[in-house]
Amino acid sequence: MIKVKGLTKKFGDFTAVNHISFEVNDGEIFGLLGENGAGKTTTLRMLATMLKPTEGTAEMGDFDILKEPAKVRASIGILFGGESGLYDRLTAVENITYFAELNDMDKESIKERVNYLVKAFGMEEYANRRASKLSKGMKQKVAFARAIVHNPDIMLFDEPTSGLDVSAIRGVHEFIRECKRQGKTIVLSSHSMSEVEKLCDRIGIIHKGNLVDTGTIEEFKEKYNNPNLEEIFVRLVGGKHEH
Amino acid sequence: MNIKHVWIVFKKEVKDIARDKKTLITSLLVPMIIIPLMNILVGGGVQKMQRDITENISIALSENSRTDEIKELIQNDILGNWPNIKLIDVDDPIEAIRQEVISAVLDFEKDYKEKMESGKPFTINIIYDRMKLKSEASLQMLSQAIGEFNARVVRERLTALNINPEILEPARIEHTDVADENKSSNPILIMTLPFMLGLLVVVGGIPAATDLVAGEKERNTFEPLLTTKPDRASILLGKYFTVTLFSFVSVVSIIIGFAIGYMINPNSLTMGTGTEITGFNIPTPALVLAILIAIALGMTFAGIQIALSTYARSFKEAQTYLSFLMIAAMIPGYATMFTQPADIQLVMYFIPVINTISAFKMVLSGTINYTNLLAALLSSVVYVALTLTLATSMFNKEKALFRS
Repeated sequence: MIKVKGLTKKFGDFTAVNHISFEVNDGEIFGLLGENGAGKTTTLRMLATMLKPTEGTAEMGDFDILKEPAKVRASIGILFGGESGLYDRLTAVENITYFAELNDMDKESIKERVNYLVKAFGMEEYANRRASKLSKGMKQKVAFARAIVHNPDIMLFDEPTSGLDVSAIRGVHEFIRECKRQGKTIVLSSHSMSEVEKLCDRIGIIHKGNLVDTGTIEEFKEKYNNPNLEEIFVRLVGGKHEH
Repeated sequence: MNIKHVWIVFKKEVKDIARDKKTLITSLLVPMIIIPLMNILVGGGVQKMQRDITENISIALSENSRTDEIKELIQNDILGNWPNIKLIDVDDPIEAIRQEVISAVLDFEKDYKEKMESGKPFTINIIYDRMKLKSEASLQMLSQAIGEFNARVVRERLTALNINPEILEPARIEHTDVADENKSSNPILIMTLPFMLGLLVVVGGIPAATDLVAGEKERNTFEPLLTTKPDRASILLGKYFTVTLFSFVSVVSIIIGFAIGYMINPNSLTMGTGTEITGFNIPTPALVLAILIAIALGMTFAGIQIALSTYARSFKEAQTYLSFLMIAAMIPGYATMFTQPADIQLVMYFIPVINTISAFKMVLSGTINYTNLLAALLSSVVYVALTLTLATSMFNKEKALFRS
């Protein structure tokens, strides 16, 4: 379970995230829906302990992000959008193994887990090929495997489909569903209405650092008496989004 | 900080960079090829220049002096022992010097013969061009030749007067060289090797430092790394030791480069100055101290490089910042290039870069002052601590890490 309690991040005078609180139940996909610059990435970076909150805190499973950041990091997996962020000069297996080692897995478990992931993602053919020689689709699979190599309970997805083509987006969506099937607790940040509608159990609309509202898609539609999530979103953020 | 995590990051970074052809070429191949090539070419050039200015020198006589008697006097009496200097005829002697057809012109005083016969001094004016190396060298050789001629004539005159010519030489000069054959005291080597070592320790880690933080940021691998279990200090130290290692790889390469040059042409080590390196007699403790000082210098600059690479938004920005470090190393390097080991003040052993260069100069000279070496080592340790603190602080600064 994730419990976010009054999380705030200020950069000088600018408040990127303003006292947001929400909870994500075990095995649930929670979508953070917002425009570019709304504070989604800053929120995820704080949950991943990459940024220190100015105020507030969060519990990621059994660990507090302020008190036990290393344990938090060991219990989460994270996937960013755009470029897969692999080490080009390392092979697919070496990329995955590096993250397993960093997460303190022992040699035997690493071997077993990497073999399992190579088979699970169908990477046998290119497992020992350098990342620079892989296609976009292959790289994406390696990035997925790397994110879950230590079998984390919590997954954070930061705009995971940003800049991807249709088939790559389908691959990401399938991976998120697979994580949910495995019982992982998931936070997904996105600015795509269709994506969150398709994947999320509950969503939170974030605008200029404030969490405007949270609930299930159905609850949103009922509450705002509108079957169109995009229209609800526009109404909530004041119709000033830049798309 | 967790040693295991530091080791995992270090191992991965070394493997990653070792597979980067660009870095390998810059850190390994270039010093191994460029250094011997430069030494051989510069050495060969110096030797050729020495040959050129001392061999096949042509001179001419001024128009007024162009008589058979003077020609005979020059060829037989003045230049008899100087087969490398030839007297030739040219139409316009001054222009011939300018065109480098000849190196000098001899202009004899009009009534030289009468003066010589009456035992009075006469003047030979040597016309030369001081802007031309060969012409200036010919001035020296002609002066020496005329000096020898003078001495010979004086001896003949004194003998004719029944006076022992030794009366003109109250003191004889002899030379005794007490240089230790086992020590290399070649000033060229003392000038060049420590300078290059110091420079390479400083710049050798730059490709790695650029790649390991700014490069990671640009390739989007940095954020996933920061979300793994290790704390920032462990990640930083893994990268820091990698940069330090690669700065030393460059140093080892340059030493191999010097060795290759020596094997191809032993003269290359002294850049053609003709001084033979007879051997090195460096006390082991002094050598160890000098190496430790160089390691500390590498670590000092690794800290600065990591800090700058962390601050940089992109690979290119990091390259720009880090290129200034080369200048920062070259200024003190050039400033002390011509300083002889014995003239280096204690205070110099407290200044970064200069302390390492000075330590190696001292070690190569073979005359060791352990107080100065220890001063250099202790000050270097302080600089390591300072720059590592700087790197740590930068690595923990969110504004620097996520600057876009």
